[in-house]
Amino acid sequence: MELLRVEDLSFRYPNAGRNALDGIDLTVQNGEFVLLCGPSGCGKTTLLQMLKKELAPAGEKTGRIFYAGAPQEDSADAGEIGFVRQDPESQIVTDKVWHELAFGLENMGVPTDTIRRRVGEMAGFFGIEGWFRQKTDELSGGQKQLLNLAAVLVMQPKLLILDEPTGQLDPIAAADFITTLQKINRELGLTVLLAEHRLEEIFPIVDRVLVMEDGRIRADDEPQHIAARLTAISPDHPMLRALPAAVRVWQEVRGKGECPLTVKEGRDFLHRHFTGSDAPRPEPEDPEKGDFAVELKNVWFRYEKDAPDILRGVTAKIRRGEIFCLLGGNGAGKTTALNVIAGLERAYRGKIVIKGKPIRSYQGNSLYRRNLAFLPQNPQTVFVRDTLRADLAEIPETMGIPKSEQADRIGQMANRLGIASLLERHPYDLSGGEQQKCALAKVLLSEPKILLLDEPTKGLDAFAKQGLREILRELKREGITLLLVTHDVEFAAETADRCAFLFDGEILSVDSPRRFFAGNSFYTTAASRMARGLWPDAVTCEQVVACCRAEESRTGRKTDFPAEGKL
Amino acid sequence: MKTVVTSGKSGAFSAVHPAAAMVYFLAVLLISMFCFHPVLQVEMLVGAALFCITLQKRGEALREIGFYLPLFLMVAVTNPLFSHNGVTPLFFLNGNPVTLEALLYGVSLAVSVIGVLLWCKCCGRVMTEDKFLYLFGKLIPKLSLILSMALRFVPVYLRQSRRVIRARKAMGLFSGKGITDRVKNRMRVFVAMISWSLEHAMETSASMRARGYGQKGRTNFSLFRFSPADGVLLCGCVFLLAVVWIGRAAGFAAFSYYPRTGGIGAAPADLAVYAAFGLLSLLPFLLEVKEVIVWSCCVSKI
Repeated sequence: MELLRVEDLSFRYPNAGRNALDGIDLTVQNGEFVLLCGPSGCGKTTLLQMLKKELAPAGEKTGRIFYAGAPQEDSADAGEIGFVRQDPESQIVTDKVWHELAFGLENMGVPTDTIRRRVGEMAGFFGIEGWFRQKTDELSGGQKQLLNLAAVLVMQPKLLILDEPTGQLDPIAAADFITTLQKINRELGLTVLLAEHRLEEIFPIVDRVLVMEDGRIRADDEPQHIAARLTAISPDHPMLRALPAAVRVWQEVRGKGECPLTVKEGRDFLHRHFTGSDAPRPEPEDPEKGDFAVELKNVWFRYEKDAPDILRGVTAKIRRGEIFCLLGGNGAGKTTALNVIAGLERAYRGKIVIKGKPIRSYQGNSLYRRNLAFLPQNPQTVFVRDTLRADLAEIPETMGIPKSEQADRIGQMANRLGIASLLERHPYDLSGGEQQKCALAKVLLSEPKILLLDEPTKGLDAFAKQGLREILRELKREGITLLLVTHDVEFAAETADRCAFLFDGEILSVDSPRRFFAGNSFYTTAASRMARGLWPDAVTCEQVVACCRAEESRTGRKTDFPAEGKL
Repeated sequence: MKTVVTSGKSGAFSAVHPAAAMVYFLAVLLISMFCFHPVLQVEMLVGAALFCITLQKRGEALREIGFYLPLFLMVAVTNPLFSHNGVTPLFFLNGNPVTLEALLYGVSLAVSVIGVLLWCKCCGRVMTEDKFLYLFGKLIPKLSLILSMALRFVPVYLRQSRRVIRARKAMGLFSGKGITDRVKNRMRVFVAMISWSLEHAMETSASMRARGYGQKGRTNFSLFRFSPADGVLLCGCVFLLAVVWIGRAAGFAAFSYYPRTGGIGAAPADLAVYAAFGLLSLLPFLLEVKEVIVWSCCVSKI
């Protein structure tokens, strides 16, 4: 049965030059799990909001939306369609977990005894019992987002809409969240429409994928056929880069038959078609060079005198001009390590040397002038003014650069990062990716030699990550040392010169990404897990594809699979 | 996952419905503050002390004697030094008489002060913020939601504000050069936090609308349930309060310190008032004892 039908929907924001949505046709069947993907700014959020009339933005709308057979305007109550958004924090309304769960039902005037039963049921289903009476502020990000989901489900919706719900979560919390969605869809038969840019886990479990671009739906098919659909539109369609590793490798080597979706299927596919005889020789171990930008020598840190140690003797040497990625799970102390290096926290034992000088010998703000800059996890925290230009101007002002030169510097920096058109906008009105570029511009204005970045890929889609990678490489070419703290193993594998693994306050291993990820069996990229038995050294999709190509050309075997796959 | 650290332990009385508990505390505090009869005062102090002990860990109560004993002595001694009423001089200090009556009145004041302090302490332990919120919500439903939202918003605001300050520190914008610079900087952060708050509020209100906020006939849910036992307790409280009140209004269980200490009445009506208040002040402790007995019976049966 058809639950949702959208007919020729177009939408234009007031004073906008073009349509945000352009002739959207779409149906969702009862019980379906539908994934909506596309680059940032393609209209995903607008489309999802239009589907829930309480959230529909103001503007010019044509076309019609039917919900359960009736026009959207006639449908009754807010509980029918549940909506979960990206930011776990701002969706929570009340101070207690139980109250948050009850909030929607209170609004609908459900009697107290019914609320008690439904809230209890929902808490049981989600395993919330343990933190049912806790304050919402004490929860982790993953728990907050689960609470947001439960608080919507308790209203017993027929359709659940989610707008990038895992964007702000770490990989483990994100995987948990997606597993829960799958459970809801399978066990309760709830219809789910989900917009997401992290596709690795979600792709294999959905029934159908919609790809949006410039306000239109460009592809609408089962996940197995999406790669072929996109290739048919353009062989190097940008969306192809965002697909899961198995799909990307299969599509790049023009695989035949059913498209693999999971790591397991991708692995089977590779093992069926390749022998792995051309394994590239392992990289030679590179000697420690003497020129270090940052040195940590046996650094110990704790927040309070009686608190447990967060860093327990961290020792690391970061070379001048390299991209160094510090990886590790939640609570391993990554962010703390970065704060200590940035001079925001003080180690109680050990030594931190920045550009050959102990960190304590930097007087006043001299550490932050032409030496070291820090990009916080949430780029919004960098902005305090009404326009981006005024915000950027803060840095040259305090550096004592003459007025006449300030505008030039800002202009140059804006051009370099491609944000010149945003200078007069309010920083809060920018998208997540834009905000990050602008924040980067601001911290770079202090002309640092060392740049620290805390989770720079959080909330970014594949295109924005690609853009960030190019910017980081460009900075590296200029001789800037980059130190990243990240959860994102894929990004680290493709970007870093060296990776380090921090666990329980200690650095366990430091190596080049190839050697680093080849040495890990669990904490590694999807590409590496797929190619493990064939080419242990291939850790990114590009490297796996290159290995495949090399083997093909050596054996002279042409993989002349039909490009259309199975349509 | 963080575990909630509650101070002390929660006794049997903490499980009582907030409305009944509130009525109870009001009744006891009312009598404690206005009655200076020695018997009632002793009952009040003993009740408070026993209640306090059930709410605390073992060592805690002992340690607190170190605070209450000096306070007791101070209040008790201060009165006879400054008040020279009464007819039985004990000795003379700087030519002023220190009287027995004033000393007794001082002791009575001290008992009263410490008793009320202890009751307030128990009240604070039992009447947690969510219970108050619930009671407010019964009176003014809108207010309780607003309070709950405010309690939610404050920590989020403080965290964001700390993050902004840290980010600025790492950009070298907190120069520490001169007070004007620092004030200007703080001002900028504050102004930015206002626009951040508006932004945050927009998102939250979207989340509220999406969950049907603004429809007519909103109900108010709470985890508290008014059980028959709560009803019995409430009626009992009101009854005992009435006995004490009416008895006192009729002139029983009265006591005067000046000019000469009066006798402690022992008429049946006096005894009824003592008994009623004694039962009232010991109620939480008795509840606790009952709980322990029931529990150990259960355990012994297993």
